[in-house]
Amino acid sequence: MTQVEPERTRDADALSQPFTPGAPSNPPELAAYPETLAGPVPPPRSDPKTAAFVEQWRNTSYNCYSSGHKFCREVCPVTQVERNESWTPTAFHANVVAMERGELDIADIAADYVNCTQCGACELRCPNTLFTGDFYRFRTRTVDVVKAVRSLAVESGVHQPSWQIWNERTDLRTHEPVLGETPVSQERVRDWAEGLDIPIGGETVLFVDCEAAFYRTSVPRAVAQMLQMAGYEFGLMGEQWCCGGPAAEMGYAEQAQRFARHNLDNWRATGTKRVLVLDPHDYISFTEDYPKYFGEEFDVEVVLVIEVLAQLLREGRLTPSVPVDRAITYHDPCRLNKRKGIWQEPRELLRAIPGLRFEDVDRVTQWSYCSGGGGGLPIEKPELTAKISAMRLERAAELDVDTLVSACPWSERPLSEAGDAEDIDVVDLHELFAQSLGITVGGSRGDVGDRRLAQERTGVPGRARRAHGSSRGGCGGGGCGGGGCGNGSGGCGCGGH
Amino acid sequence: MRTDDQPTGPAATAPYRFAEQHTPPAAQRVSEVAQTTFEHVYEVDPRLMQTHVLQQVFPNWDTLRIMRSRHDHLAWMHRHFAEKVVTGSELLAEIEAEATDVRDPQQSTADTGSISGPGAR
Repeated sequence: MTQVEPERTRDADALSQPFTPGAPSNPPELAAYPETLAGPVPPPRSDPKTAAFVEQWRNTSYNCYSSGHKFCREVCPVTQVERNESWTPTAFHANVVAMERGELDIADIAADYVNCTQCGACELRCPNTLFTGDFYRFRTRTVDVVKAVRSLAVESGVHQPSWQIWNERTDLRTHEPVLGETPVSQERVRDWAEGLDIPIGGETVLFVDCEAAFYRTSVPRAVAQMLQMAGYEFGLMGEQWCCGGPAAEMGYAEQAQRFARHNLDNWRATGTKRVLVLDPHDYISFTEDYPKYFGEEFDVEVVLVIEVLAQLLREGRLTPSVPVDRAITYHDPCRLNKRKGIWQEPRELLRAIPGLRFEDVDRVTQWSYCSGGGGGLPIEKPELTAKISAMRLERAAELDVDTLVSACPWSERPLSEAGDAEDIDVVDLHELFAQSLGITVGGSRGDVGDRRLAQERTGVPGRARRAHGSSRGGCGGGGCGGGGCGNGSGGCGCGGH
Repeated sequence: MRTDDQPTGPAATAPYRFAEQHTPPAAQRVSEVAQTTFEHVYEVDPRLMQTHVLQQVFPNWDTLRIMRSRHDHLAWMHRHFAEKVVTGSELLAEIEAEATDVRDPQQSTADTGSISGPGAR
């Protein structure tokens, strides 16, 4: 039993010599040595919801609070653009400590927790994860803490106005209202697949997230046509609802679990054993949230489409042969790279595309990159999402590229808008790979994406194509008149266009 | 210390199956307070985390993600900040050799004792 501030005599001070706690070879007297806590245990909170919350999250919060490394700061996208101490991963944990001590209530802090994209950078970069997390099977869990605080807020009747409306509409329509005032519905969730002749149900189904199903429909169209080209059998869900992940991220936990229950039951009803996932956010929901909800009952196999495509490429069942005239860099989606360690296969696909010039930024550098599109941030604070996505595009603009490739439909809307300001196209990996396979994808790339796709791109690929390229050391493709831009790089690549 | 029959673990993109994810390889003891499961994965004896701070639910993908990210990060740090990378065992051997020279200039540095393990290269 742990004692608080025990009586300790000098003679009994076992700490005078280093030892490994719990080691069987320790002298017997160490086994009886009293362990100490730093201070008195605070009285339990009277509100049962808060009491249960701090009981569940106190250890992981003290894990952050008591170590105070703060390596999280420079990888956190919100901290990078806002420098608000109340919106840092450290603060998110310190608040829980303060709540346990009765110094804060959920209403005091709920709005601060909006400022997180749940990208996972902080918890991965934290030494308590990176250097000891796997050893102790105990790691920093900022994303879970943020979700739990948001959930406590909702349970306590503390709502963020836009999130509340968003989730009410989602509950009403069974899909997220990604088209604004244009309603989404169960009847239209498969509209993206028009003309593709995809069956319903079956052993393997393709799950298409709300953003891709209704807004960036070119992504699921690309995926479906590539799988068909390779002869990979799959169907669509009988009655697909939103995965529930966004509701969970915003704190609407009951709704999230209800949606998850529906989807699992629907898979069962159609004999589905395997779910193909094209969206990293869905991948998180199905491999992290659903297992927590259902435990061993969740016996459905979850497969990322990117892995399927990489496998088909290796087997020679898909061979890109149409050159793609672009100079690209790749945006590692947070939920693939940081939260799942998936970075290799996307690059494998990109490097297989002929004609493409690929200027890569390594996966560790990209721990500090984010689109700002996750965790419900664009719904409640679109201006903050815009700042983060603008920062991501500024980083892309430093490279000799004309295109930023992502593999996450939810990132592509804010990135496209920021890319427009930099004159950089934002293209989905699946769209690009399908193009190199000679597939006419169809569908929509969203407002900005469609408009930019309609523009003719001229000049050699890279910075030279961009209207804003000259301000960052490139020529811009038109400023020098094609006779030598004098940018000192020994060739601007404008090629006289 | 490691064994040669440890699995390297599935790729990050391997299909997710609940039962597999919650079944780590059989642990092999490496010290009186630590064990190993996957190659390069060392874990505290779980019996030491049953009282004050309990272990979290750790699917295999998370264990492997952290281990692989650590290697990635260290390589990144070396690439960006290190003029030269030396192992701890090399440094220890160097210090030991210097200490031996001071104690007995006639004694060869070859008998300072080898430091075994995967880091001793």
